[in-house]
Amino acid sequence: MSYAYLFKYIIIGDTGVGKSCLLLQFTDKRFQPVHDLTIGVEFGARMITIDNKPIKLQIWDTAGQESFRSITRSYYRGAAGALLVYDITRRETFNHLASWLEDARQHANANMTIMLIGNKCDLAHRRAVSTEEGEQFAKEHGLIFMEASAKTAQNVEEAFIKTAATIYKKIQDGVFDVSNESYGIKVGYGGIPGPSGGRDGASSQAGGCCS
Amino acid sequence: MQEAELHDLSDDADYAASQQQGSSSTMRTDSIKRSSSNEPDGAEIVYSKDNVAIHPTQFVSERISGRLKLIKQGSSLFMTWLPYKEQNSNAKQIEKAYVDRNLYTIKAVPFTEVRSIRRHAPPLGWQYVIIVLSSGLAFPPFYFYNGGVRQFLATIKQHVFLVRSAEDASVFLVNDFENPLQRTFSSLELPRLVSVASGPSTPISVGESPLKENQERINGYESSSISQYNGRQRQKVHDPTRDISIQVLEKFSLVTKFARETTSQLFRDGHSNGFGTFEKMFDSQPAQDDLHKASNNAEKVTDEIPVASDPLEFDKLSLVWGKPRQPPLGSEEWATFLDNEGRVMDSEALRKRIFYGGVEHGLRREVWGLLLGYYAYDSTYAEREYLRTIKSQKCILAFLLNYDFSISPEQARRFTKFRERKGLIDKDVVRTDRALTFYDGDDNPNVNLLRDTLLTYSFYNFDLGYCQGMSDLMSPILFVMRDESESFWCFVQLMERLGPNFNRDQSGMHSQLFALSKLAELLDSPLHNYFKQNDCLNYFFCFRWLLIQFKREFEYEETMRLWEVLWTHYLSEHLHLYVCVAVLKRYRRKIMGEQMDFDTLLKFINELSGHIKLDAILRDAEALCICAGENGAANIPPGTPPSLPIDSGLFYSQQEDEVL
Repeated sequence: MSYAYLFKYIIIGDTGVGKSCLLLQFTDKRFQPVHDLTIGVEFGARMITIDNKPIKLQIWDTAGQESFRSITRSYYRGAAGALLVYDITRRETFNHLASWLEDARQHANANMTIMLIGNKCDLAHRRAVSTEEGEQFAKEHGLIFMEASAKTAQNVEEAFIKTAATIYKKIQDGVFDVSNESYGIKVGYGGIPGPSGGRDGASSQAGGCCS
Repeated sequence: MQEAELHDLSDDADYAASQQQGSSSTMRTDSIKRSSSNEPDGAEIVYSKDNVAIHPTQFVSERISGRLKLIKQGSSLFMTWLPYKEQNSNAKQIEKAYVDRNLYTIKAVPFTEVRSIRRHAPPLGWQYVIIVLSSGLAFPPFYFYNGGVRQFLATIKQHVFLVRSAEDASVFLVNDFENPLQRTFSSLELPRLVSVASGPSTPISVGESPLKENQERINGYESSSISQYNGRQRQKVHDPTRDISIQVLEKFSLVTKFARETTSQLFRDGHSNGFGTFEKMFDSQPAQDDLHKASNNAEKVTDEIPVASDPLEFDKLSLVWGKPRQPPLGSEEWATFLDNEGRVMDSEALRKRIFYGGVEHGLRREVWGLLLGYYAYDSTYAEREYLRTIKSQKCILAFLLNYDFSISPEQARRFTKFRERKGLIDKDVVRTDRALTFYDGDDNPNVNLLRDTLLTYSFYNFDLGYCQGMSDLMSPILFVMRDESESFWCFVQLMERLGPNFNRDQSGMHSQLFALSKLAELLDSPLHNYFKQNDCLNYFFCFRWLLIQFKREFEYEETMRLWEVLWTHYLSEHLHLYVCVAVLKRYRRKIMGEQMDFDTLLKFINELSGHIKLDAILRDAEALCICAGENGAANIPPGTPPSLPIDSGLFYSQQEDEVL
């Protein structure tokens, strides 16, 4: 399948926050509550269209448990986007965001676009983290933010696509040298290489949030 | 220095009582002892006490009275307790009494097997003693209705080394030449159960000392099971549960039917069902009988074992690309590996057979127990059954500890951690093999078993705890064993070897990945160099293979087949690393031809799941292992899992010196 660009995503966050379910909802448009826990890493892929250009998302879904961090870190390399996921019904998964972010900042390239996702927003009655807190955290750390539900599919499509749109915009703005694959972007057949060598646009990193 | 105190039992609280009650049997005992104790050979009764009873239930009418004797034979002292025959009861009671008698009869337990005796002198009621064996097993309390506890202890003291515990004045330690406290703790070392249940036996003893057992095994492959045994003991040294274990263990001896009613609330969390098997622990008589027969046949059996030629010597010629795989071992053929008591006559031959074909599913329960070291190869049917019953009690013990609601602040702290782990395990068991009928559906009891066994383990090995991947390893074991305690203990055995896979610092994984890179370099240097040039030298793409022994790469049945082949440790303990190399070799052309980078390679390897042909890969791995020979083994650093850890040995043995 031909694409203009291929973006590598990585999904990170504590165990059990719904990383694999988000991926499955996005790639297969279904919710499967009964699936095997992730060991190491799993892959998913889907084509999307942005600005009329076919873009392939290659998504790495990682294991969340603390002791696998040293292995997980090797997966950050060359990721253009990251979905950092917490569970709005479990406070501790929100509390651990800072440490995940630190890992990401340290091991991924500096221009990686990070989308913060408060998952399981269908379980509002069990909510332990308010939307405002999520927004606040995102704002402080320069992340895009959304609450989503892998179960109801609410905002799932949007989260993946908005991340891609942000990355695409960075390409347009010349933030990335797309000929350098370490940015997590591959130019496909029929793709139009953006302006190259434009590292100076780093400050344009998306900082907005939406909900 | 304590000599005077050691032999002074005058503070014995029941001394007066025994004098008061001063039955004729006490006097008789004394006279027997004095008249016969000088004879060097032959069995002599040095103590005999009537009306020593056990209480199977709380009803006085159901107590079983009998005669307790101490018998001297040569330099050894034995204890027997034989219940009286029931006289004036109805048929049903007689039948029940018969069953109970068989259940509780003690025939000649040597004092070399006895660890401690606790004497209880309650202000109201009769004195009783609880006898704890070195195995950790305890007999039900013996109530001395005619008094004589002091006499009992004094007589023992004349024949074996008996010392009052420094920790607890009501406990007398038997043959304790070291620090009494240490020995009390070591009596709790769970693995010692194995030595009682599986040790070869003399006509009169239940088991043999672990030392002799070890010596007998040291020459063969079995030597690894010794270090396994030691390793387990080392781990247990750190076990936080140990401190309270002694108390709990003694409580268990009280938990006969007698105490069941009053203690059952402790187990209301659904774990009380194990008590059925707990009661069986006293049913050692059949096992002893079998042991008698076994020892009589022992020589004959040894003669019948064919002299095996060195299998490797012979096989090398025919092995160029691995032998064709055989059909799995079936029950008829399995029977040919066993003597009439159920011992595996030639474990090497058995392991070889399983290496080349695995076993039929129906046999897995027993064979896995052997491969994992849960049963000794030279254990009999009866001993294996015996072990199952004792161990199921031990499993409950672990559960009791889980639900022991904390005693000290330290335990409260651990309990918090434990609760966190429980949350993790709860989340993971519902994400483990749920597509399998055995684990599917809502409220599946097998999922609960999976949770319980993992939970128990996380407490049993508190330092390691729970880590993702363990549920993948436990799942097939539970599927095969179908029993909570057997699964737990088999998992304990497996984790002796694979535990380091789950170290927090990933050290176990890194050492295997390192060994894998060395093997790949040896067996396919162009491929290894390719990885080097493409920044793939960490071999992280094999992470999942190693962590859970290829569990996610094959169908369930194939995984079980692969595991039993790996667990034979035939040819190599590290066959799994050769399996890795074999798979990589098989796809080397594609990997190098398509110039895969790390990401692509990782994805490619991940997607091999379900596409690897097990038999073909095993043949390749076998061939690679034989080709590599000693060079291969030399490239795997000592202690690389699933070898038993060696580097920590020094550390642990120092700990042992301190604590034991």
